[in-house]
Amino acid sequence: MIELKIGESVSLTNGAQAKIIKELGRGGQGIVYLVEVNGQNMALKWYFNNMGDWFYRNLEDNVTKGAPSEAFLWPEYLTTKQKGTYGYIMKLRPQGYHEFGQYLLARAKFKSFEAMVNAAMKICEGFKALHLSGLSYQDLNDGNFFIHPDTGDVLICDNDNVAPEGVSSGILGKARYMAPEVVTGKAMPSKQTDRYSLSVVLFLLFYANHPLEGARVLACPCMTEKYEKQFYGSEPIFIYDKVNDKNRPVRGVHNNVLRRWNAFPAILRETFTQEFSSKCLSDPNKRKLERQWQNVIQQIRDMLVVCPECKDETFVEDANTPKCMCCGKPFNIAGTLQINDRKVLLTPNTKVYVDMDNKPDIQVINVPGDRYPIQLRNITTNNWVVETPSGKIRSVEPNMSMPVKAGLKVNLTGAIKGVII
Amino acid sequence: MGLLDNESIPRRKMILFFVIDTSGSMVGSKIGSVNDAIENVLPMIGEISDENPDAEINVAALEFSTETRWLYDEPKGAKDFIWQKVEADGLTSLGEACEELNKKLSRSGGFMPTSSGSGYFAPAIILLSDGGPTDNFEGGLKVLQGNSWYKSAIKIAIAIGDDADKDVLKQFTGSSEAVITVHNIDALKKMIRIIAITSSQIGSKSTSATDATKQEQVIDKVNEAAADVAGAETAAAPAPAGTDSYDEWD
Repeated sequence: MIELKIGESVSLTNGAQAKIIKELGRGGQGIVYLVEVNGQNMALKWYFNNMGDWFYRNLEDNVTKGAPSEAFLWPEYLTTKQKGTYGYIMKLRPQGYHEFGQYLLARAKFKSFEAMVNAAMKICEGFKALHLSGLSYQDLNDGNFFIHPDTGDVLICDNDNVAPEGVSSGILGKARYMAPEVVTGKAMPSKQTDRYSLSVVLFLLFYANHPLEGARVLACPCMTEKYEKQFYGSEPIFIYDKVNDKNRPVRGVHNNVLRRWNAFPAILRETFTQEFSSKCLSDPNKRKLERQWQNVIQQIRDMLVVCPECKDETFVEDANTPKCMCCGKPFNIAGTLQINDRKVLLTPNTKVYVDMDNKPDIQVINVPGDRYPIQLRNITTNNWVVETPSGKIRSVEPNMSMPVKAGLKVNLTGAIKGVII
Repeated sequence: MGLLDNESIPRRKMILFFVIDTSGSMVGSKIGSVNDAIENVLPMIGEISDENPDAEINVAALEFSTETRWLYDEPKGAKDFIWQKVEADGLTSLGEACEELNKKLSRSGGFMPTSSGSGYFAPAIILLSDGGPTDNFEGGLKVLQGNSWYKSAIKIAIAIGDDADKDVLKQFTGSSEAVITVHNIDALKKMIRIIAITSSQIGSKSTSATDATKQEQVIDKVNEAAADVAGAETAAAPAPAGTDSYDEWD
């Protein structure tokens, strides 16, 4: 491959030209350049080697289809085949996002658990959108996600290998992230193998350790291809497997999961224990769908509140005896908002997410001296309609608030109804 | 430390070995280029290491002429490895170099101590030579071939010029495809960079779930890249005889 020079122009299949401004970086597959296309700054990924005709046609299909959702940094234009290779154009990555790997290396850090949980929700949403479009990821790993530390917003990148479900791009992904049946060569990537990768990414996100790497894997002095096929393929053992304790986390090495495993909500432990049980590891059909993961994440988001004592965030699993996981002090819940069978806990400064997007809808606030010292502020752009126990109807406009008073029924955004209990 | 803080995920180490022929025939621009190329590639390897949640990359360098000498007593992080320029003088004790490698590719008294955190990935060994061994190479290699770390390592060699004994390098690396011959300074520098970066990238990551071994993947990538480097010759595309640019060696 001949590298491109500053000022050089590359022609695109839609007739336009992309002018090279400078190199932004390079990876295993190619170089990413900052380019100018029709007056706009964009990014060009230029492959080192000719990736072949199938790959080109697949890129073409993806460009035509468009991104599954705005979470994806997606190929927008394709270059013509030239200089023995080709590339594609995508939007530039906005500032402030860090690669998922940087979080694992403790170089980037979430500002809050709220951000961490948002990131989890957004990743699931992305996968769901991808699969709904009839595509599957195939090559998922820590390099695909860029996450904003303050909001938890997620950008999914490196979408070159995304291909229609059932069609193989030829790239199989890293053993550490791929489903056992792909690592052993028994199956090709699919939606179901993507779901395994999703569970691994979520586990890494929450616990900052790998779900299959404990004492047994640590005991291996040299991780060769043969051992990877064994530990991630033919004989995977979850570090907290209910029956098999051979692969437990080791003190001094796997400190992250040791600290967090029991501190985070039980529903998370139970879900992961099931997802990585030998039954689910060996049967792709038993894996959780994205929507089911989102339900679990919504549940833990509903129990995440701000501790009135120390002002840090804490999960509250038992609403009858709330205790802060940071300062250890017991405190009182100011109220509960019931939405269908969800019980959303409320304390001052807590933000409530009524639906599964990552925009908070309610801010719980302190109004000292007021008859109702704890209120819910409408931080959406729509009106809420409130019905009092005596049947009176009030409207709560954006930025206005309503009291946390038992018995109030509220129609929130998107036809979601809640009642304060 | 709050629950929101975490330590770095534990990483395995991958050691990148440079094994460098510093015999008399390397004197001048050959050894100068080797020094230059390695010094320049170390920061790039440091970056690959820094961005990689799978492994951190450490570097060790062994020079061999009449005797063998490790540049440092233990492997160092690529960013911390301050390259000491090596000089050329003497014979070519490749056999002894093999025995030294065997000593250090070990958990007891070697560069892979058991006490080290999370274990290792297989190492990568890059051998640079312009001639043939003057000692008991066969004996040394036999000892090394019994070493498990060596067996699972990524092994690539650069034959510097036509006088290099390609057969010996093929024996060391295990295949003729893993030997790249260079015929001028520019090709030498480029191939050192390409081979160091490719072996680091592939060696320090979790394997792709394919059937190709890391060795095969590195060989493929290096051979493809070598096709674009003027003066670099691969096993599949041998250059016609007498393509050395002798002036450049002066």
